[in-house]
Amino acid sequence: MTDPFTIELLRNYLLVGAALFALGMLGFIARRNLIVMFLSAEMMLQGVALSLVAFGRYHGNWSGQIFTIVILTVAACEASIAMALVVVLYNRRSSLDVTLWQDVREAGVSTSDLADEAAEAAPIDDEAGVESYPHLTPAGVEPAHPIQPWTERRR
Amino acid sequence: MSGFFVQNVWLIPFLPLLGGLVAGLAARRFRFDAAIPVAAGVALAFLVSLGAWMSAGPETTVLVSKWISAGSLVVPLEFRVDGLTTLMLSMVTFVSTLVIVFASGYMHGDPGYPRFFALIGLFVFSMTGLVLSNNYLLTYAFWEGVGVCSYMLIGFWYTRPSAAAAAMKAFLVNRVGDVGFALAIFWLWSVVPNHDLSYQNVLSEGTLHGLSDTAKFWIPFLLFWAATAKSAQVPLYVWLPDAMEGPTPVSALIHAATMVTAGVYLIARSTPLVALAPEVQLLISIVGCTTALLAALIALTQTDLKRVMAYSTVSQLGYMFMALGAGVGSVARLAMVAAMFHLFTHAFFKALLFLASGSVMHAMGDVIDMRRFRGLRHRLPYTCGTFAVGALALAGVFPLAGFWSKDEILLALESAPHAAHEMHLSFGWVYSLIYWIAIFTAFLTAFYTFRAFFMTFWGPEKLPSPDDPEAPAVDPHADHGHGHGHDDHAHAGGHGGHHVGEESPPVMTFPLMILAGCAVVVGFLFGPTGFFEGHLEHTLGFEGLPEGHHAFSWATAIISTIAGLAGIALAYTLYAVPSPIPSRIAASIKPLYRASLDKFYIDELYHLTVMKLVQGLAAASRVFDVVVIDRLVEGVARTPRLAARDVLSKYQNGLIQFYAAASALSVAVLLLVLLFS
Repeated sequence: MTDPFTIELLRNYLLVGAALFALGMLGFIARRNLIVMFLSAEMMLQGVALSLVAFGRYHGNWSGQIFTIVILTVAACEASIAMALVVVLYNRRSSLDVTLWQDVREAGVSTSDLADEAAEAAPIDDEAGVESYPHLTPAGVEPAHPIQPWTERRR
Repeated sequence: MSGFFVQNVWLIPFLPLLGGLVAGLAARRFRFDAAIPVAAGVALAFLVSLGAWMSAGPETTVLVSKWISAGSLVVPLEFRVDGLTTLMLSMVTFVSTLVIVFASGYMHGDPGYPRFFALIGLFVFSMTGLVLSNNYLLTYAFWEGVGVCSYMLIGFWYTRPSAAAAAMKAFLVNRVGDVGFALAIFWLWSVVPNHDLSYQNVLSEGTLHGLSDTAKFWIPFLLFWAATAKSAQVPLYVWLPDAMEGPTPVSALIHAATMVTAGVYLIARSTPLVALAPEVQLLISIVGCTTALLAALIALTQTDLKRVMAYSTVSQLGYMFMALGAGVGSVARLAMVAAMFHLFTHAFFKALLFLASGSVMHAMGDVIDMRRFRGLRHRLPYTCGTFAVGALALAGVFPLAGFWSKDEILLALESAPHAAHEMHLSFGWVYSLIYWIAIFTAFLTAFYTFRAFFMTFWGPEKLPSPDDPEAPAVDPHADHGHGHGHDDHAHAGGHGGHHVGEESPPVMTFPLMILAGCAVVVGFLFGPTGFFEGHLEHTLGFEGLPEGHHAFSWATAIISTIAGLAGIALAYTLYAVPSPIPSRIAASIKPLYRASLDKFYIDELYHLTVMKLVQGLAAASRVFDVVVIDRLVEGVARTPRLAARDVLSKYQNGLIQFYAAASALSVAVLLLVLLFS
């Protein structure tokens, strides 16, 4: 049986997968925005999933596919939880900057506090509230958002 | 019908266990007398034993269930119903029933009443299981069970330091013996065919012939080692006198009639095995003789009524071992029958004597020191009468039980030198020596028994009073801890003072009378009629024992009777009325008197040697533990803490990116290692 999925094709897939993984990792390490970091992590996951599918196809069995579907399911669950966490974290500090959480560490370990530098560079909006939303690239019209209990508490 | 009893012989251990469980779990909640289920269980077990007695056969075994099945070690839960077993079962359950009835009066009002009967039920379960078991390992398991029950019952009043110490002592000394039993079992397991430890395999002719000379000597020796602890022989008898710290019914049941006979039973059961080693038999005889004489000499001067009985028990057990050891050559069968017969009769009259002592103790407000009361025969007529019967039986007066059994033992000892000569053994003369020592011991036995009897029941009446110079110093704090602890416990709830000096209730005197009746009749009913020997013929391995012809020896009977009567007469002259003669004699041989009173300093000797050695060892172990092992463990425990605090915690700096980079690098390094290794 002639299998069109040759090793060269597999190599290409793997290269794309590795590139996705590397980019994701780079993003995770380099960015400080929680949501972007999370997106980067998802990208790493997709790189791995792609490799799995490619291997599955190359070996002519379904295990790679099945594994990938499972991964996707788990990733979806994980995404919902992670986004919930991100919202909670954002409500606490009114910012998505991960360095603001640097004080969650072993007591007594002194490191140069990147959050302070960040604060110097861009002071946090004093009037945290409904107005201070993540500064993502604006796209479209900002929706009307009703006041939610958590924003209520924050005032 | 008889087959029914044999098939359901498992009921004999099971019913007392059930009774004990019911007593222990339900008696307090449902407010019924805890003695009833146990007494009922044991009494029913006695009936089953009687039924099984009728159909006992040397090869009758009942497979109840599997127990251990591990590779080549296959041990079934199998019971044996032969002559020896049914004999022991009937005796144990009968005496136990009476003791339980007695105890229901004696222990009345004790806060631990249900616990007491639960333990008694458990004990009868273990003891009947011990004699029913058809292999050495199962016997061993029940042997341990009996030891545990004994421990718990000696320490029944565990708040008293002396009782707790006595319980510990009994348990530890028994452990020493159990080592011997365990070693014997290991050895047997490795040498017998198919690793089958059942009696019919171990004691079969083929197996016995196949044993090496070393095994032939050492296995009986190890079994005898086990028996010395359980049956209180020199040098491991020291626990038994202290065991009197337990309630008196316990002393009567466990430390006189049943448990202490387990060692005798074990040796009797293994007679075909022991008969292979005449040297061990000689050793058994010598140890038994030493024990009998030593304990009798100690009993001469004791003032505690129960202690006199305790040493008397040790002494009589020594008698049984003397007989077992005398079974060389053609005497084997006679010796085994004599030992078992003495065990049988002794159980009745010694239980009787103990219970009568308990009755005295009960009436005297838990005073047991014979110097503090006197002349109780009018106040305690039933106790006095039954005690007298028991004492006469123990002294070996015709025609009571002790006479017949003691006579058989002496007959065996008398025949032993001749049998040893026939077998070309050079030590036959030792048996002649033992024979004369045994007769001397019989004299001593009669003397100390009647010394106790006359001191308690004869002479002008005197009741215990705190003003007595012999009374322990009255210390309101220490008082309840030691001397009167029993009073404190047994008669809590208004059973204290007003009973002093009154005869015990019928529930206590009735068992005494039944036992007294038995002490009179079992001797001539079972002995000279040949009924006892006839029953023992249904025992495994008994057919193989050489049967010599041994006529009833008039000389021995007359000599032993004279010795017994002389002892009684001497005790009467010295103690029937208070006289200064005994103290004058004591003063004239002061060192000997002191030595006997202080139990020949055996306890002190143990303290100086074994105890000091063990305590030194324990202290050294403790030092080693604290200095070496604890330091090592602490060091191991400290390592992760140091590593975490000084090295690793620096890397938990709260920067997610740092963690991510570190993980990525680590994975990269791992991959590189995997790729290029």
